Amino acid sequence: MKAILVDVTKCTGCERCVDACVEENGGDPIQAQLDRATTKDGLSANRLLSVAQVADGRFARLTCMHCLEPSCVSACLVGSITKTPEGPVVYDPEKCIGCRYCMLACPFHIPRYEWSETTPFVRKCDMCFQRQLQGEVPACVDACPNEALQFGEREQLLGEAHRLIASGGGRYLDRVWGEHELGGTGVLYISDVDLGAVGWPEPETEAIPSLTEPLIAKTPGIGLGVMGVLLGINWVIRRRMRLAAEAAGEATDADSGGEATE
Amino acid sequence: MRSRISNLKDILWVLAFAGLVAGGFRLWYGLGATTNLTDAVPWGLWKILNMVAGVAISTAGFTVGFLVYVLKLERFRPLMKPAILVAFLGYGCSCLALLFDIGLPHRFWHPFILWNEHSFLFEVFWCVTLYFTVTAIELAPLVFEKLRAEKVTRFLHRIAFGVVVVGISLSSLHHSSLGSLFLVTPQRLHPLWYTPLLPLLFILSAMGAGMMFVVLIRFLHAYLYDPDAVLGPSHLKRQLLLLRPGEDRAAATRPGGRDMPMLTALASIATGILGVYLVLQLFELGRSGLWAALVAGTWESWLFAAEILLTAVIPILLVWLPGTRGLPQPLGYAALSASAGLALNRVNVGIFGYFRDAGVVYFPSLAEWALSLGVVAAAGLAFLAFVENFPVFEEGWKERRRAARLSCASFDSFSRVWETALRGGVERVSLIAVLVIPFSWAVMYPSYRDDTAAAVRPAAGIDVARTTLLIDGNQSGVRTEFPHAEHRERLGGDSSCGECHHLSLPGDETTPCSRCHGHLVRPTRIFEHQHHRRVVAEEEGLGGWIPENRTCTVCHTGTGGAAKTAATAKPCLECHEEDRGWAEAEEGADLAWAVSYMEAMHTNCVTCHEEEGERQDRPTLGDCATCHSSLTPREGTAAAPLVLAGRSQQGAAARKPDGS
Repeated sequence: MKAILVDVTKCTGCERCVDACVEENGGDPIQAQLDRATTKDGLSANRLLSVAQVADGRFARLTCMHCLEPSCVSACLVGSITKTPEGPVVYDPEKCIGCRYCMLACPFHIPRYEWSETTPFVRKCDMCFQRQLQGEVPACVDACPNEALQFGEREQLLGEAHRLIASGGGRYLDRVWGEHELGGTGVLYISDVDLGAVGWPEPETEAIPSLTEPLIAKTPGIGLGVMGVLLGINWVIRRRMRLAAEAAGEATDADSGGEATE
Repeated sequence: MRSRISNLKDILWVLAFAGLVAGGFRLWYGLGATTNLTDAVPWGLWKILNMVAGVAISTAGFTVGFLVYVLKLERFRPLMKPAILVAFLGYGCSCLALLFDIGLPHRFWHPFILWNEHSFLFEVFWCVTLYFTVTAIELAPLVFEKLRAEKVTRFLHRIAFGVVVVGISLSSLHHSSLGSLFLVTPQRLHPLWYTPLLPLLFILSAMGAGMMFVVLIRFLHAYLYDPDAVLGPSHLKRQLLLLRPGEDRAAATRPGGRDMPMLTALASIATGILGVYLVLQLFELGRSGLWAALVAGTWESWLFAAEILLTAVIPILLVWLPGTRGLPQPLGYAALSASAGLALNRVNVGIFGYFRDAGVVYFPSLAEWALSLGVVAAAGLAFLAFVENFPVFEEGWKERRRAARLSCASFDSFSRVWETALRGGVERVSLIAVLVIPFSWAVMYPSYRDDTAAAVRPAAGIDVARTTLLIDGNQSGVRTEFPHAEHRERLGGDSSCGECHHLSLPGDETTPCSRCHGHLVRPTRIFEHQHHRRVVAEEEGLGGWIPENRTCTVCHTGTGGAAKTAATAKPCLECHEEDRGWAEAEEGADLAWAVSYMEAMHTNCVTCHEEEGERQDRPTLGDCATCHSSLTPREGTAAAPLVLAGRSQQGAAARKPDGS
């Protein structure tokens, strides 16, 4: 499964990755500059990747984390967003109905909407899935002048991350962001400053689908159970009414009592 | 009595027509142009108030159905048809609003064929659609009885029990699932509202307050058509107004009309459920240790307290306290309070609870309000139409219908039409439409907000007297140092200015870059029309009283009757020969436009730096960090407060040093 490893200590915040991303995804570069200045996190439907300052001289890229158990994939009611076996979480505009539940469900506040369009779609990073299929690396990784981004198999990158931390001699904090958080992500970070403020939760945070999917698996059972209980209650009550009527010496018409009530 | 009904109808028609205009704008211009929704708050009024709250408030169809059909509590049968009508119209108008809310309404049917059974929204979609069908089947006998289609009616009655059972089952699923929708946002929803018990809390509050809403509808119906049924023989006004000293207290507080025992019994059941809801809410607060958050005095805590008071505490007190039990007026207020509390709860969970995380406050636009209220008003009109034409509330409906019948005059004369327009009927509705539609068109016409102009201020001028210039192009407070005196000295003193300053305005030696490159990232139009008129008049030696007026055709040659605009003027390079070299070298260069400040500075500095770096064998001279020293990773820097995404207003400005 493909992943991207971000070395925060190497990122200078030059945003060449952003320029490459805008170009790759057919965005308008001038509008992208304006979006950087006018949005809170630099992300827009035109600018799917952003670089945020996490500390003095420390920058972290902000874009789809390509979670291993994505909340958006679980939330989308038409299955418009899928987790590919190759790693990227991709969006299929042909299925989307525009409910925007993915935007609410994303724990990293990533998906963006084309608010200015009359037929709007969701926009998010797809880790340059089309480029990957042609054997190329994502545009942002390609553009980074400082080798702050590495692209490769997730397992290998995790090994590389831990190796860097161990051999760094205290250069890095002993944590790989994205290894365990929310069930693990496809974008991994090593850093010398804490990334909690970029929206990273605690390492032990559960994947969001694990909160909802066990529950929703029970719904057919609950529905049938409710139906059964209703029929049971109704049967008991009608029987009691019939017995009461018989006791009162009246004619029994309980058969028609439940079905045709009027 | 009749004027009360027609006043209400007037208001509903006004709202419905305004909603029609808003809906048209929404479909024609799109979501972004008509709503205040943003990426930070993607779900707004239509989804939360109309759908989540609207569906919750229309629960009555299944709860009363449970009482009547399953528990065989025949005393509640008179409320069965109103409850089903409320459910049918409530679900109908919720779905209608949702149709406008989704970005691609023409694809509303996608979930029928494209399944993701892991999504609670998928389950809600199916259950709501199926249940809407169920309410339609439950309501159908009313219509077929009127049409005297006896076979159909008999068939519908035969399947009634089964349909009700299916309906209850579907309802118990989707009312809880509407709560489960918000389970996916543990990081985002305010902890006062986020709990794993959301599904349970949602279905309990919907059941309790939904029953109270039927009580409210019975009150409303009585208020309009049949006060005696609820309020008793005494006049309504005496019941609603506060008693003055000396008035007949006994008459005013007399237990109400013939429906009151039934309504009180229903309210007792409802408040029982709301009591369970209240206990569960408080238990959950205690379990998650949020008592402190409840009394913290934040606006969330106030909203939460208001919601609990309205939904549960006030109705329970009003229904059960011996002083108010069984009286129409307190019961009406209890029903109103529970219904309002339920709606507030849903809005709290779906909208207010996300503000703190989003870092922005969302207030719906005028068009959002108009459509939201418009579909509800349309449902209200449909409700009145049903009540007046079908035996929804059983007793004496024909008399009421006669009383409410609207006069229909023919278009025989102007005065007659005008008269009827003021009195009632189709003409009156037309008059309302003619007045309301243009007005709402004018006030709701989408204006595209251009936030960028305000947010990105012009590139700043710099203090040329300093030896080191502090360049802060976007005025963000983060500056890039430029050793101006050092460059000047190194490049050869006074004679070197032209190396960088490619242009000075006439008579000016220190024209700042930002004079032409006025915007950080946008190109600036620098063509000065007036200046050209004057100069051309001088150079061409044009005569006359006002020589400048004769200059037009020098540039606007052969427009052939077309307007004289920039597009029809001849190319700048025809006169500005001296600029031909670089303008042709640079693709797309246009003398009338100056590139943005950032691009100008970067082109100016980086080009030179890269050349010098190559010449002096210093390959890093052209790097960003040569000038933007703040971009260089430094050892031992303290972590600054973060600057990101919906957490700090200064974020956007301080996030990056200028230029990169």
